[in-house]
Amino acid sequence: MNTLRLAWRLLKRDWYVGELKILVLALIIAVASITSIGIFTQRIDLAMHDQTGRFLGADLMLNSPRPVDKQILDKADSLQLQISKSLLFSTVVVANNEYQLAQVKAVDDHYPLLGKIEYTRQLYGDTIESANGPPAGKAWLTQRLLKRLQLKAGEPFELGDSELLVGGILKHDPGQAGSFMPIAPRMLMHYSDVGRTGIIQPGSRITYQYLFSGKLADRERFARWLKSRLNPTDRLIGGKQGSPALNTALDRAEQYLALASMLSVMLAGIAIAMAANRYGQRHFDQTALLRCMGATQSRLVKLYSLQLVMVGTVASVLGCLLGYAAQQGLVLVMVELLPDNLPHPGYAPFITGFLSGLLTLSGFSLPAILRLKSVPPLRVLRRDSMPLPISAVFVYGLALLSITGLMWWQSGNLSLTLIVLLGTLACVLILTVLSTIMIALSRYLLGYLQGPWRTGLMQVIRYRRANQLQILALGLALMILLTVLLLRIDLLDRWQSQLPAHAPNHFVINIQANEVKPLADYFQGQGITTEGLYPMVRARISAINDVPVLEAVPAGARIDEALKRELNISWASSLQKNNKLLDGQWWTQADSGKYLISVEWGLADRLNLKLGDTLSFQSADKQFKARIRSFRKVQWDSFQPNFYIIFPPATINEYPHSYISSFYLSSEMKDIINELIREFPGLTVIEIDAIMQQVKVILDQVTLAVEYVMLFVLIAGLVVLLASLQSSMDERIHTAIIMRTLGAKRAFLRKGQLAEFTLLGLFSGLLAIAGTEIITYGLYSRVFKLGFELHMPFWILGPATGIVLILLTGWLYTRRVIMQPPARILDN
Amino acid sequence: MTPDLILSARKLCKHVPSLDGSSRQMIHILNGVELEIKSGETIAILGKSGSGKSTLLGLLAGLDLPTDGDVYFDNIRLNALDEDGRAELRLDKVGFVFQSFQLLPNLTALENVMLPLELKSDANAQAHARALLQRVELGNRLQHFPRQLSGGEQQRVAIARAFVARPAIVFADEPTGNLDTTTSAHIIELLFEVNREQQTTLVMVTHDENLASLCQRRLLLEDGIIREASP
Ligand SMILES: Nc1ncnc2c1ncn2[C@@H]1O[C@H](COP(=O)(O)OP(=O)(O)O)[C@@H](O)[C@H]1O
Ligand SMILES: [Mg+2]
Repeated sequence: MNTLRLAWRLLKRDWYVGELKILVLALIIAVASITSIGIFTQRIDLAMHDQTGRFLGADLMLNSPRPVDKQILDKADSLQLQISKSLLFSTVVVANNEYQLAQVKAVDDHYPLLGKIEYTRQLYGDTIESANGPPAGKAWLTQRLLKRLQLKAGEPFELGDSELLVGGILKHDPGQAGSFMPIAPRMLMHYSDVGRTGIIQPGSRITYQYLFSGKLADRERFARWLKSRLNPTDRLIGGKQGSPALNTALDRAEQYLALASMLSVMLAGIAIAMAANRYGQRHFDQTALLRCMGATQSRLVKLYSLQLVMVGTVASVLGCLLGYAAQQGLVLVMVELLPDNLPHPGYAPFITGFLSGLLTLSGFSLPAILRLKSVPPLRVLRRDSMPLPISAVFVYGLALLSITGLMWWQSGNLSLTLIVLLGTLACVLILTVLSTIMIALSRYLLGYLQGPWRTGLMQVIRYRRANQLQILALGLALMILLTVLLLRIDLLDRWQSQLPAHAPNHFVINIQANEVKPLADYFQGQGITTEGLYPMVRARISAINDVPVLEAVPAGARIDEALKRELNISWASSLQKNNKLLDGQWWTQADSGKYLISVEWGLADRLNLKLGDTLSFQSADKQFKARIRSFRKVQWDSFQPNFYIIFPPATINEYPHSYISSFYLSSEMKDIINELIREFPGLTVIEIDAIMQQVKVILDQVTLAVEYVMLFVLIAGLVVLLASLQSSMDERIHTAIIMRTLGAKRAFLRKGQLAEFTLLGLFSGLLAIAGTEIITYGLYSRVFKLGFELHMPFWILGPATGIVLILLTGWLYTRRVIMQPPARILDN
Repeated sequence: MTPDLILSARKLCKHVPSLDGSSRQMIHILNGVELEIKSGETIAILGKSGSGKSTLLGLLAGLDLPTDGDVYFDNIRLNALDEDGRAELRLDKVGFVFQSFQLLPNLTALENVMLPLELKSDANAQAHARALLQRVELGNRLQHFPRQLSGGEQQRVAIARAFVARPAIVFADEPTGNLDTTTSAHIIELLFEVNREQQTTLVMVTHDENLASLCQRRLLLEDGIIREASP
């Protein structure tokens, strides 16, 4: 208790001495950086989840070909999850003597658990959002089904043994994820009506769909519990299992963001270590005195650890608050890009930030503080009695350990952590070499300089060690910032300028064979050029050379997206525009009707396919095989219909197929889409330009977030600058006093100081832009395969930023060096 | 051992390696010091600068360990204790006054004086400290920081700190070394007064004959050994 009070009192008084402030500042920055990213990513995560939820109609969806075990539903119930059951089946609907195959979904009163169903009461009526499906006795049919059956709203139709009324026109119902792209038109009906239709017989192909919603923790427990109990034919969608591609991408992005935020923690750590070191050294006397007065070593350790905890707590709390504010700022900046009501973050990111703060602090300051334990009490009599030196292994080891641990914790990915860590170390190494050369070479400039510039350069050289650290810290921070900025400007510009002016921006799918001719005529009549109409069969690769596909492919390819879903397979007599034959031969007229295929080379490479291999396909309940005749390179970003697999004509046209096309529409002609859909109600039009716009927005958003994070890195770099100025402060003051007693004017000292800072800023700016050019050169030539040019404006921008930043920070901080009255030389 | 002996040294030696660490040459600072100090005595240890006075004081107070020989404090052999054991002994029984005052610059006069009591978890630390500061005539400077006080005032704070926890023995290392003559006289007067009031044993190390003459016993440290000085 007493130690606590003493610790607090000593700490309170120490506050007025600089280095504690720097330590706290550095820690606040580190924690704020971690917390803001933590909160931000968590909120985005939650929002994403919300969206998936609305998309699925629930948090989790389980699809099974038979009713699931009762214990599964009981388990969900015991975890207080909401449950909704649906049935999915195909059947024939009859009205006005028209027979039409339809995809039916029968839903209970709880459907959908999340999101809304959209329907209209009349054809082309206003869209109504409903929280429930149709009531018993009624059904909502898609416009296409309605037209085929020549039905109107309110009229009856036959479904199996029963009759239902058209209650509305179905526009959108959540939960289509996981079912294949419907070829038959769809309808929604009530679960309780299924029985009397008599449609469901033993052996009917039915999908039993179960929706679950509830609290995150509950449903994750449920999903974990469920996973081991699923049959191979069951599919669980949603949660961490759902849309794996998107989730992985998002996870990756979040990991990188978290790691980027760790850069500021590293720099802050350096500042903390420097400040703690100075703090330790300045407390040798105090410690010796306390020991002399009878404080035991363990008591001193307790005293200083308590101080550390106090500082850490205060700074971490402030850091959390600042992090929250910064994150709010980030949300504000991107308000148009984010969902309206971002969910609230919960406590987790704050706790993470807080603990990271304590961990950073102890990792970087513990050695200096523990060293105090060994200050000999004899120091009160003999000033030169020093504590044992700290082992460098301990200092660097602990720092490295804590930063690695933190990064691992933040990213949840050890290999990524190590890569980033090693990458950073490599950067630091290169920058160290560069800056050493720079300082060494600047010596030769001395002869050409006069007055304050000469003094300034001499100081740069005199405080070489501290200065190099400053140059490095700021250079590194600036380098990262410049790189991100430059990549954004360059890549977005180039990407946009690389798209051909009239690249197709719309896809049409679900074109039926009998609509091909009228549609082609329609396009011609409107003066729209299409990229051609391509047939499309949906099929899954089931085997390679008669070995089941999952056994046949390399282990790493088992999770390949192309194996998980049905592929669009086409047939064509000639090679498509923008396709290039890489190996094998394209077929001739004589090959028509033969089961040969041309495979996209990326897929072939991933699945380790060779010319001559046989692939088996499963399309609905039919199977067929074909031999690989050639490999093609496909230009995926050409926005024409592209296919993994292509057959020669007259082979697979017996299988159910529809057609696909793409075309360009200028924004003034957008109205044509509505007309098109009215004319051909079965078509689905996908507006690529809208998606592209979204992609661009996302890119903008991500780079903005990265830049925001880098701002923390920059601030942390400035704190390192402060810490190193602080460490050379005593010496600077001493020199200044001597110079002043020797008659130097304040103005002279000031100019010298300004010159020194200008040179430091110049050096770090040059270092930064040199590093940036090296990195971008590497990225452009290796990764993006783009031409590289030096970025001349940045060679001005970089050093200028460096100079301004160092001048501002350094000048504010060292003003008092110059203000020293010469009389102070008598003080000591 | 006589019961009223508070401190004794037997064949106390301190050898340190000479500065040019290469040779195995040792400097023999103390060469078998024999010393007995009775409870309540005031003792001056005289010696030229560099004769090893501070070294001896450090050994007697248990701040450092001898190369050879033993120090007994209240019949406890200091050699037998570890650093923390000796610290606890100091906490209980020892006060210090230094040539360079050794006040903590960030604490006020009052807080500096409270320090030993706080280390002992004394609940009335503030009252005691206040009283003793008043005793050394600094009642009106309680909240001042060391840098706001003159050298003499700082040393008075240090004296208050040395006695505040009512130690059995106070060690003073050249307490007037950094002060002018007039101030010195006043400080010394105070030191002896407080000492008398508390009946503390006082071991003072100094090169100042006048100061030494105020003590009941005077010893001379020369060539690493102690002799009774002629009065
Ligand atoms: N640990 C040590 N290492 C080297 N020399 C020492 C050490 N301790 C004391 N000395 C030397 O021993 C001599 C006596 O020192 P000290 O006890 O401080 O003398 P005094 O206090 O009488 O002036 C001095 O010359 C000092 O430099
Ligand atoms: Mg001395």
